[in-house]
Amino acid sequence: MDWLSAVNLDGLAAVDFRWLGLVLELILMPLIAFVVGLGLVLMLRKIAARLQRRVGPPLSQPLWDIIKLHAKETQTSHGLIHEIGIVMAIGGYVAAVTLLPVPGMNGLAQQGGLIALLYMTMIPSLGLALGVGQCANPNGSIGISRALTAMLAYDVPLVIVIFGVAFHFGSLNLVHMIAAQQAGGIASWGIVQMPLLALAGLFALQGMLGKQPFEIYVAPAEIATGPMVEMGGKFLGGLFVMQCFQLYTAGVLYVTLFLGGGEHWLTFLFKVFVVTAIPMTIAMVFPRYRTEDMVRLFWKWPTMIGLLGIAFVMN
Amino acid sequence: MATSPTTVMDQLLTGLHLPDGLDAFAGVIRESLAQVTNSASWTRYGRQSLEWLIGMNPVDRLFMLSALTLLLMLLLGRLRSAGVLAVLLYGAQFAALLSTDTLFGAPLAAEVRITVADQSLHWSYDALSWFFAMLTIGAGFVTAWYAAGSWMRRYREAGRSARAFHVALALNCFGMLLLIGSADLLSLFLGWELVSWASFLLMALVGGLGAQAALKYLAYAISGAMLILGAIALLYSVGGSFEYDAVVAAIRGMTDAQVWTLLLLLGGGFAVKLALLPFHLWQAAAYAEAPGAGSVFLGAISARMGLFGIIVFIVGMIGVSRLMTLEIPYTFMSSRELIAWIAALTIIVPTYTALQQHDARYLLAWHGIGQGGYMLLGLMVGDAVGSAGGLLHCFNYAITQAALLMAVFAVVHRTGTADLNQLGGLVTRMPLTFLVLLFGIISLAGLPPMAGFVSKWMVYRSLITEGMPLLFVTAVVGTLGTILSVYKLIHNIFLGQLRVEHQEVAEAPLSMLIPMLGLSALIFLAGFIPGPALSWVAQVQGQLGLPVVPWVLGGIVDPRGGLDMIWLVGILMAGFGVGALVFYGFGGRSRRVHQLDNYAGGHFLTADVHYQYSDNFYAGLMHLIGPWYRGAFRWLERSLAATLDLVSFGAEGLYRLAQPTLLMLAAAVAMLAWVL
Repeated sequence: MDWLSAVNLDGLAAVDFRWLGLVLELILMPLIAFVVGLGLVLMLRKIAARLQRRVGPPLSQPLWDIIKLHAKETQTSHGLIHEIGIVMAIGGYVAAVTLLPVPGMNGLAQQGGLIALLYMTMIPSLGLALGVGQCANPNGSIGISRALTAMLAYDVPLVIVIFGVAFHFGSLNLVHMIAAQQAGGIASWGIVQMPLLALAGLFALQGMLGKQPFEIYVAPAEIATGPMVEMGGKFLGGLFVMQCFQLYTAGVLYVTLFLGGGEHWLTFLFKVFVVTAIPMTIAMVFPRYRTEDMVRLFWKWPTMIGLLGIAFVMN
Repeated sequence: MATSPTTVMDQLLTGLHLPDGLDAFAGVIRESLAQVTNSASWTRYGRQSLEWLIGMNPVDRLFMLSALTLLLMLLLGRLRSAGVLAVLLYGAQFAALLSTDTLFGAPLAAEVRITVADQSLHWSYDALSWFFAMLTIGAGFVTAWYAAGSWMRRYREAGRSARAFHVALALNCFGMLLLIGSADLLSLFLGWELVSWASFLLMALVGGLGAQAALKYLAYAISGAMLILGAIALLYSVGGSFEYDAVVAAIRGMTDAQVWTLLLLLGGGFAVKLALLPFHLWQAAAYAEAPGAGSVFLGAISARMGLFGIIVFIVGMIGVSRLMTLEIPYTFMSSRELIAWIAALTIIVPTYTALQQHDARYLLAWHGIGQGGYMLLGLMVGDAVGSAGGLLHCFNYAITQAALLMAVFAVVHRTGTADLNQLGGLVTRMPLTFLVLLFGIISLAGLPPMAGFVSKWMVYRSLITEGMPLLFVTAVVGTLGTILSVYKLIHNIFLGQLRVEHQEVAEAPLSMLIPMLGLSALIFLAGFIPGPALSWVAQVQGQLGLPVVPWVLGGIVDPRGGLDMIWLVGILMAGFGVGALVFYGFGGRSRRVHQLDNYAGGHFLTADVHYQYSDNFYAGLMHLIGPWYRGAFRWLERSLAATLDLVSFGAEGLYRLAQPTLLMLAAAVAMLAWVL
């Protein structure tokens, strides 16, 4: 970190302080992710409100929601795995965001690249799935069955995108990708170099965030909000926190792969908010797909676009 | 008149004409038997035999201990303590393997050799043999432990022979140790046949469906062995010797057409054991229907013998670079791509077949076939990281599959069923078994922080850096299918509603739990600190002449994107800590409620109403991909069998000369056709 190296540590010159910097990064990165995530949730609700000609919630509403859910008197647990599931859902994302470089901080991006990040983000899904399963409510299980099917759908174009990007930059290391894009200016950004992959990635993003038209697994009127059916109080609060991290991870990943990462915080956050606004806006305009239609759609259009994109990248 | 055992043995041994190597062996046995019967002092005998064992050639000692295990199980397998004895003996075999020091040291030849008709059969251990022997003996050890207590009592109560089980297991281990130590084509074939028949024995132990599946396996295994015999004949006719050195030289001098023939013969033969497409149909039923502990052993290691053959001949002797020069006529593919695609299809088809299973044993057995594809795929990519990933996956998969099958058979032990539609909610009754299954499925699906993630990551990474997009996507789609399928497995057994008849179910017995928990710890450790396992793999790579993976304690170092599991697992654990702090540290206390205290759209739930979603778990997906399951391979198998039936029927008619005139007519027509 830049500011840390500016601190005068003459008297302690013999001690290596690099690890302290890393520890600080590892503490700061999840905190920043959480705060930015709260902002993204607020934006999501504002966009929905504006499209429905409402004013929308005030600035601090997302935070108050989490506090309210945690403070509820009735906290219904269906067993230890129900609780562990929420812990895993939050914990997995806390770990995952340290693999995503942000301006001035690389965290653990050197220790695990793009594939490690992809699989790390599956840990929260697994935790959630376990927790919901323990609730012994078939509505929840159906929701998880649908959510996992959705993952099977959107991950096919997503891994095609990941392959193409990694092949283009000749590395799985996110730090290298950002460096390559920032060295060459906008002309070297992923979105300019690989427009088809960027398009396929946008499709995948929509599915990854589980926004309309791909939110069949919550289907409130049909399966009583699916995975959330037995979630109340701080269980729901935990899922809220997870959503903040999820929006942040998806937005930052897209910016890293296609929009040159972050030179400094201002442009970086601007890019992240713009990218995340796209799926949210689309979500408010479209109706809902069934799971099999979703699989069919994802295995057809974004997959084809992605493969075409790879063909261009590899030539 | 009673004859003493010594004299019977004596007569047997002197009556037989034994080849050179075995004569000394027989003499030793005769001597020890004489000592046992004559000498009153058991301690002296014990000390002498111990001294004799220590003084032996280490590889001979390993074979000796393995043969001793077989012998003792044959003699004492009926005893109640035979299980414990078996565990100790497999432990001794493991120690003997370590003492050969062939992993980091030089290869070591065994002194035992058999000479038949001027051809010498001999054995030798090197790093590759050490690696596979470690897996074999390890699998034997945990299986024997798992079977030693409560499981075996139940097995006996069902009227089955404990001795047969112990002998079958020991014979499997012995055969495999001979096979992976083989140093010429004849000893290879001897080991191969021994392994084939031994696994048939283990499959067929309980009869019923298992015996049917075992017979089907036998049909496949015999065809596979014929192919291998054909390959051996080809190699001998070209090189004029059964020795491996001569074989390597012979392959180097072969024409492309000859190498193609060799590839098809060897590849076909070994593919049967590894259950590569299209020879995969026998495996799931044969492994799933074997008796519980036997299924664990078969699932963990047995099919890897096919991969061992492929590694020795196709990767080691022919070499991936030679494979790349073998073009398939009229296509853009080389033989290496062909094998890689067979591996990729072996990942996809069995994995999605597993997704349709509703018997936990079959589900895991089908995944076992699919995981074999990852190993072969990594080896076919052939770069340092990819081939190391393929080899490492043998180890990671073995510990994972053993733990998973043990957990499932522990559930069967307690509830009597593996039907995924008849279980549910067992996590409250069998929490430790749940934990074992959870660790296992995370590893099988290849998610961090477990072992399976590391090896799969290496295979993915090599596919990306070597520029193989379609194979990469296929490999990941296989992993995604695995995630879906293993969630169904853990959900339908342990999560959801506990059934009334399972309210009193107890945790798995300790004798089964200890190896299960041990393996789970190993799965986590091999994911947290992959360095030791990578160091073994690096030795194997060096010996095979493959590029060696740049490993460190935490994983792989590479400027193009490495992996450090110590950091990743550390941060994940820290993340869980933060998650726990957020969840437990703030807000009101949660209150546990009964499972019937649940949202049911306004209805009241009662214990007699089954409130569980388990059947046809991925209904939406199956709605789309269901029609894609055409059973094409089953159709192929059936049509082959029908053709064979027809041919044999016709041949039988000719043989009996039921219609001599017809035969004459057919011969005349054939003659005319030939002349014209």
